[in-house]
This record gives sequence, structure tokens and C-alpha cells, in this order.
Amino acid sequence: MAMVGSSIEQQPQIILLKEGTDTSQGKAHVVSNINACTAVADAVRTTLGPRGMDKLIHDDKGNTTISNDGATIMKLLDIVHPAAKILVDIAKSQDSEVGDGTTTVMLLAGEFLKFEKIFIEDGVHPQNLIRSYRTACYLAIEKIKEIAVSIEGKSMEEKKSLLAKCAATTLSSKLIGGEKEFFASMVVDAVMAIGDDDRLNLIGIKKVPGGNMRDSFLVNGVAFKKTFSYAGFEQQPKKFLNPKILLLNIELELKSEKENAEIRLSDPMQYQSIVDAEWNIIYDKLDKCVKSGAKIVLSRLPIGDLGTQYFADRDVFCAGRVAEEDLRRVAAATGGTVQTSVNNFVDEVLGSCEVFEEKQVGNERFNIFSGCPSGQTATIVLRGGADQFIEEAERSLHDAIMIVRRALKNSTVVPGGGAIDMEISRFLRTHARSIAGKSQLFINSYAKALEIIPRQLCDNAGFDATDVLNKLRQKHALGTGANYGVDINTGGVADSYTNFVWEPAVVKINAINAATEAACLVLSVDETVKNPKSESAQGEAAASAMAGHGGAAFRGRGGRGMRR
Amino acid sequence: MGFQMQPYGIQSMLKEGHKHLSGLDEAVLKNIDACKQLSQITRTSLGPNGMNKMVINHLDKLFVTNDAATIVNELEVQHPAAKICVLAGKAQQEEIGDGANLTISFAGELLQNAEELIRMGLHPSEIIRGYSKGITKTIEILDELVEQGSDTMDVRNKNEVVSRMKSAVASKQFGQEDILCPLIADACIQVCPKNPTNFNVDNVRVAKLLGGGLHNCSIIRGMVLKNDAVGSIKKMEKAKIAVFAGGVDTSATETKGTVLIHNAEQLENYAKTEEAKVEELIKAVADSGAKVIVSGGAVGEMALHFCERYKLMVLKISSKFELRRFCRTTGAVALLKLSQPNPDELGYADSVSVQEVGGVRVTIVKNEEGGNSVSTVVLRGSTDSILDDLERAVDDGVNTYKAMCRDSRIVPGAAATEIELARRLKEFSFKETGLDQYAIAKFAESFEMVPKTLAENAGLNAIEIISSLYAEHAAGNTKVGIDLEEGICKDMSTMNIWDLYVTKYFALKYAADAACTVLRVDQIIMAKPAGGPKRDQPAGMDED
Repeated sequence: MAMVGSSIEQQPQIILLKEGTDTSQGKAHVVSNINACTAVADAVRTTLGPRGMDKLIHDDKGNTTISNDGATIMKLLDIVHPAAKILVDIAKSQDSEVGDGTTTVMLLAGEFLKFEKIFIEDGVHPQNLIRSYRTACYLAIEKIKEIAVSIEGKSMEEKKSLLAKCAATTLSSKLIGGEKEFFASMVVDAVMAIGDDDRLNLIGIKKVPGGNMRDSFLVNGVAFKKTFSYAGFEQQPKKFLNPKILLLNIELELKSEKENAEIRLSDPMQYQSIVDAEWNIIYDKLDKCVKSGAKIVLSRLPIGDLGTQYFADRDVFCAGRVAEEDLRRVAAATGGTVQTSVNNFVDEVLGSCEVFEEKQVGNERFNIFSGCPSGQTATIVLRGGADQFIEEAERSLHDAIMIVRRALKNSTVVPGGGAIDMEISRFLRTHARSIAGKSQLFINSYAKALEIIPRQLCDNAGFDATDVLNKLRQKHALGTGANYGVDINTGGVADSYTNFVWEPAVVKINAINAATEAACLVLSVDETVKNPKSESAQGEAAASAMAGHGGAAFRGRGGRGMRR
Repeated sequence: MGFQMQPYGIQSMLKEGHKHLSGLDEAVLKNIDACKQLSQITRTSLGPNGMNKMVINHLDKLFVTNDAATIVNELEVQHPAAKICVLAGKAQQEEIGDGANLTISFAGELLQNAEELIRMGLHPSEIIRGYSKGITKTIEILDELVEQGSDTMDVRNKNEVVSRMKSAVASKQFGQEDILCPLIADACIQVCPKNPTNFNVDNVRVAKLLGGGLHNCSIIRGMVLKNDAVGSIKKMEKAKIAVFAGGVDTSATETKGTVLIHNAEQLENYAKTEEAKVEELIKAVADSGAKVIVSGGAVGEMALHFCERYKLMVLKISSKFELRRFCRTTGAVALLKLSQPNPDELGYADSVSVQEVGGVRVTIVKNEEGGNSVSTVVLRGSTDSILDDLERAVDDGVNTYKAMCRDSRIVPGAAATEIELARRLKEFSFKETGLDQYAIAKFAESFEMVPKTLAENAGLNAIEIISSLYAEHAAGNTKVGIDLEEGICKDMSTMNIWDLYVTKYFALKYAADAACTVLRVDQIIMAKPAGGPKRDQPAGMDED
């Protein structure tokens, strides 16, 4: 850059890095990073727990989202501060790994950092803190594994009710918490339906505005909204018992066969024959579909006027422009395969189900396939008032589904409601006493930071957190009250385990792990160097030329988005 | 400002806009200062307790790392002299793959000490002579410090590998080396060829999957592809594999062409013949015994249809490098065109399956026996930056393995070697008669930088540590280094902390070379940058 040369001339100083590079380092830098992270954690703090409040986020495109899912909020907040981005990352990681507990993980990370900050300001070397926190994290996870109750080896029915408890705990903190039992059993049924091959996209969630939450229902198969249809559609039968289902990926419409083909005729007499040929091709295709014995024809591509009428005449149901996702689910559910050619259908490519029917749901019509042989899919049809409400309900259900899947896979549960956090906290405090040296303090602070979960639960519910926490500490200290957590209904303490406030152990393990990792990562950074963006290199060069000696001008605006 | 003055001296010979700096104060000391600044940035990252740096590069990508090579790479150092240090670091990274920080920090320290000598009145050329003697002697001493019996090792013995790899990995991911090292060692040993010197670092892959934690990391014999299978068949066991580099689709002409249809019959048959052709091809592949088709390009819908019909699993690998590795893993020969493969062109894998890991669907290609040419370390972590950093640690570990395959000699780690070098070199300097005595003494002193930094980064009292180290070494305990966990001096052979001899050798050599190069410069002439700011524009666009 030209600037480098000229600044050497003006002011003989050493320019090591590119002009416009923003660097900051030292203890103040660590503290400022921590501040940024706690600010982010504060943003989601109030969403924790059954009494947590929701956030309304209005983005630049005018979309409104109401959510109390930490990951969703973080995604929408569009955070630019490099250190705070780490928190966003862990929320995402929690979301993809476990599906729920995104608020928990951010809250924990924020709280860890808050306690670390005090030590940093007192002059403790970050590495010492990091080491202790890692040890504490390891101990905490071991403790969780020890406390966790396995649901392995129980009968199917028992397992189901256990899983429903887990789902209910997750759902209780969401917008649809009022109907948690209703949805919990629905979610468990859905997850059980897809069985071992747990591909998340086999569970479909369809949203239909109108009606009430209780009108939501689970289809043991596939359901999708009636697709765009042509004339003749209404004459088709709308209900079949044990139909054969043909799935297509071809257009059943009159159209040119290939783009790169051209017809040249020397004899005008032939013209009619070409027209006939085109009709023959389409009739031939339709005929083959019908001959295959299928009673239902679905295609990803349009089925035109002609096709719709043709099928209607032969008592066959058809639907074109079925979303690919839905078509795949139908294929998985009915055991058919999607065909790209109408030639040589063999029986095994056809799917089947017990009942197919078209049903009115709200003001939409739904095609519903139920009683599918492979039984690997499930669809939840959600009803509710406003759009935002249904969307949040969908996110909540997604969380619950993930929780149930994880619980099924790892099959251990721990008491919720802050009980497990209190127990780890107590355990770490006791452990800390056996350590000589600085580490004792750090592990104690880690233990204290874990208390944020019950504390925040109380705060959000409007209880006196100090009071409740003291009660909890006492219970846990007795050694017999390891399962005691916050009772959100009475404002006291209660045995979470007997109250069926359960969550999968993996949620807690992952949350503690991720939060510790993030806290350590933020702490381990002692210097930030921000290079100027290359796209705007030209613009910045011009700006710096105007500002005379550019470096100072940038220092103000670079990187420090979230000062507090 | 420069315009009013009459140009004089060298300025008058050069075009306007040239920069010209000369002499001790203007050139040499400035250069030294720049290098010092650079080494100060990297220095705090040295050793297990080093701090991370957050670097945001010009593309807005965030790096959180303490890997010096990455830091200096992304810093975009502008100063010409500092760039020499950067290049030395890069050379080290390429030669050994580890120890870049030692190179840069040591070069910085050498230069800092040179500055003192210059201020004392020594001429740079005398310093250079002293430093050259210093490094020659250092290498002689380093040879003597090599641990007895370490020159032969079994590169397939996990314990031996781990003990040598530990310090390299620990300096990147302290506290996690006990989990990472065995993983890396296993992965390396699996793919180690008969002649270990031919070990190729490319054969150990890293798959980063968000979510979980370090304890979820694992190794897989074979590959992990970060995408789903194309068709509906997601699992195949003991499968023969056909690889097509060009894509699985109907062949279309490159030249634009139009099919001329003359009559109705042709029109009706047009689509059918095409279909028949695809079916014939896929059937041919299926007949050859292949159960999995891997495509390097697009998979046509029609082709996919027939693949499903013939129960073939279809994978798509669009990266050519990835495809090459896949061929290596399975022993398949990539065919250019969709056609029937010969039996010897088919590859084999014990299992090919799609699994969901942390919300991402990945295809895992496993080969338990025989085909041991590629292994993959699956890393789990909660953020992208952690994963990236773990990957760098794995890379360092794998590179260390490569280095140890060639030269397995080791020296005590944790600054034990440095202190011994410093002590012996100092003794040596006293025997020198010329002015280089001073330079050699300073060279020796520069070694103290390593224990000093290690101690400082760990929050220990550096002066105390160094003096007690010297005391131990003077008493003949040449293997005593710093135990960072307890903050005391200990015999490193009991702690089992070793550094590879080659890493040290090259790091010190490159650092000394870089320092001498910087010292040798007494004039800087910079041409006026051509073209103005616009020049950068196209380059920037390309990188996007």
C-alpha cells in the first residue's frame, strides 16, 4: 500500500503490519472480551426455565420472530464481536449435538467468565484458571455420569413414559408448556415410530394456522398439504384402503420431449402424425402408470390437466408438485422408490399403506398416508393461532424431538430443575477442599458459577433466589437430597426426580463441556489482530489517506462492537 | 514536503517516491526493532501455557490459535525485515511442521541481543561472525545431548511414538495431549508404510464435526466424507466400489448440437433409447459386482433411478483431491467415463455407511484390514475455532511423526536442552579470543529466552526458575527442565518429555540464519509502489 511508504517518511516509526490493522492485547483485552460475552449471555438470561420470558426479534427484512430458544435468538442477533461469536458457536453446537439446552450453555459460559474476570483482574494468570476449569469440567462430567439413571433394559411402555418425562421437561420451558403432556407423548410416539434409523428428516412437522393447540395431531405416516391441482382433481376418489402408491420424478404433461431436439418436416402431411406422436407419448406414460396397478400417483414434477383427468377417469388419485422432502418421506414410509422413468415398473418399486385419505384441517386440505408398512416416518400436524406462535411451537417440538432421540440413544437421565447443577456444585466444593493451592479457589468459583441455573430459574419465576438456593444447599449438603431442585410451582424446593422433571444426561454433559471450552477459549486469548477487509481495501485506503495518518482513525471503529 | 528540498546523494539517482534508509540507526536498529515486535507477538504463545491469539484476517475469518505459523501467516506482516523472520518460521513449518514459534521467538531474541551489542559498539559483521560460530557450536553440542539409544525406534510402537509426540501436541493443546496423542499416534501407525521414511502426512485426514467434546474424538480406518449418500441406499457392507471421475449421467456432447427428428416414430423412440442406454450402462456396472458407485461429478436423475433399481449405493465426491484419496483408501481406479469397470479397477471397503454425527450426516468408509492407506481423526469440539485449533495440533502431531520416521533422535524437552546449550556455549565463548566472544556469549544468553518465556507464560517467577535451572545443570543434571504444572525444576527423562532433535536442529538453524540475514542489511531501498491503491483490487477479488 502506498500509505506504508509515506508514513515512514513523515514519521520514522516501524510499521510492522498492514495499515488499518487493529490490534489490542493484554489483560484489559481479556477483560473486554469477557465483558462482551457476559453482555451476550445477559441477552438470553431471562429465557431460561418454565417461567422464562420470550424474546421478540424484528430483523431488517421486517420478519418478526418470537422465541425463547437460545440458539434461535443468537442466530438472529447477528453478533460481530469476535469473542462473543464464540458463545454463538457453542449455542449452535449444543443445538446440533443435543438440540436443547442452548440457553443453559450460554448462561453457564457467561457465568464462568464472570467469575473468571474477578480473578483476572486480581492478576491470576489465565492459564492457571483454564487448567482448573478443565479439571472441574472433567470432574463435573464424571459426576453426572455417576448420578445419571439409566433407562436401558426397561420395557417399551416404561421407556416411553420415561422419555415423555424428558420431553415434558424440555417443553415446559417453551411457549407450548401449557400442553406439555399432550405434546410430549406425541413427540415420543413420533420418535419411537422412526425407530433405530433415526433420520431427523423422517419426522415432518406441518403447520396449519387456526384451531387450537389441542387440535394438533400425529400421523403415523406422512401428511402433506394438498398440492396445486388441475381440473378433474375433484372427481378423483379421496380415500383408499390398502392402495398401491407410485412415486414419480417425471412430468406428466404435454411438452416437448427434449430441449435439444428439433423436428424438420418436408411433407406437411406428416404434421398430424407428429402431433399424434406427442399425444401418444403422454398417453403411453399415463397408461403405464395406471397399468402398474397403483391407485395413487405422486410426482415431484407437475401432473397436468390431461393427466389429472386421465387418472380421474380411472379412479386413480394423483398429486403433482409434491415437495421433494415429502416425497422422500412417502418413499421411506411406504417402501416404494421414486421412479424417473415410466418404463418397466416392477412391483417392488410401488409402495403401500393401510389408509390414504384427504382430510380437511383448518382451511387446508391434507393428504394423509397412515398405517405404513415400514413405519419409519411420522408427521406432526401443528395447529395454533398466530404464525409466530406456530413457528415457535415448531422449534420447541424440534428441541423436544432431539431430546427424546438423544435420550433414546444414550439412555441416561438426570434430575432437572437445577438439581443436578446444585449437586455438581456441592460435589466440586467438597472436592475443592482437598486441594492445596490456588486451584481450590478456582474450582470453588466454578462450583459457584454452576448455581446460576437454579438461581436464574428462581429469578425468572419471581422467587427469592437467595432463599431458595439456601434451602437447596442445605438439602444437598445433607447428602440425601441430591435430587432436590427448584419447585417452580410453589417457589420452594422439591425432589425433581419424583416430580418427573428429568432431562437426558447428555444435555448437561454437552452443555458443561461446551460452556467450559468456550470460557477457556475466551480466556486464553490475549491478543486480537484484525486485518482490514480485503473487499473494501480500496475504500479504506482512501479513507485513511483523508484521515492523514490512518491507523488511529481505524482503531476507533475496528472490532469493538460490543463495548459495555 | 520532500519536493522543496533538492535531492542529494542517492536520492538524486532514484525516481521520486523511492525510500532509502541506511546506516546503523536508520536501517539496522529499525529492522531489529521490527523483528523484536513480531517475536513479542508470537512469544506469549510459546509453550504449553502460551496464550492464544485472535486473528481476524482480511476475509473476516476468525482464527483463535497459538500456532505461530498460523498467526504470522494471517498477520500479513508488511515490514521487509520482519518478513525474513516470518519466512524462517514458514521454512520451519514446511520442513518439520512444528517449532515455528521457537524459530521466530529465538530469532527475535537473537536480534534483541544483537542490538545491545551494536550499542556497545560492535560492528554487525562481527556479530554475524560470532553468531555463525555460535550456531555451529550449538549444533555440535546438540548432537551430544541426544538421548542415548534414541536413534533407533520402532515407529509402530505406540508408546514410543506418544512420548516423542507429546511435547509437540502439548504446546498446542495443553492438558489435552493425553487424549490427543494416542489418537494421532494410532492414526499415524495405521497408515505407516513398510518403509517408514515414505510416510505421507496426507494420509492422515482430519474430519471436524461440530458438537460434543474432546472425549468424543475417535479415529477411523478409512475416510469420513462430509456429505450424505445421494440415493436412498445408505448402508453397504463388504462392498466393491466403482469410481467414476467424470460423473454418472447420460453423456452429452460438448459441442452444441440439435437432434433432428424426421418422423413421428423417431420422436416416440427418442426418449426410450436414451433411457435404454443409461440402463445398459448402470447394469454393466452392477454386473461387474460393484455395489457402490462413486461419482466425481453430477449424478443424473435417470442414472440415479437405475442405480436404485439395481441396488447400488451412490456417493458423490466433488473434490478431486478427496476423490484421489478415496481411490487410495479403497484401492479403486477412477474411470473417466461411465462404463463397465474391469474387476481390477474396482475398489473394496468393509463398510460404507451414512451416520449422523452432531446433527451432520456423514458418510463413513471403513476398511478394517488390508487397505490401511488412509486413516481419519474425527475431531469433536464445541466451536469452529476450537476445532480449527485442534486440527492444527493434530497436524503438528502428524508432522512430528513424519519427522521421527526420518530421524528419531530426541533431546530432553521443557527447556532442559536450551539451558544446557546456554551453559556449554557460554563456556565455549570464554575460550574465544576475538571480539566474537561477546557475540557468542549473547547467543548463549538468547537461549534463556525459552525457559524465561515458558515460566512467564505459566505465571511463574522466571528469574528464580532460570537460576535454579543453571544450578542443576552446573551440578551435572543435564536433563533438568521446568515442570510447569508444579512450577519447579525436574528431570525431564523421568517426566518423559522429549523434543525431537530435528525440530530443535532446524528451528535453531533457521533462527540463526534469519537473524544473520537481518543483521547483514545496512540499507533499505524501497521502490515506489506502482499503480496506487487500485493494484490490490483484482487480487482481493480473486481471494473472495
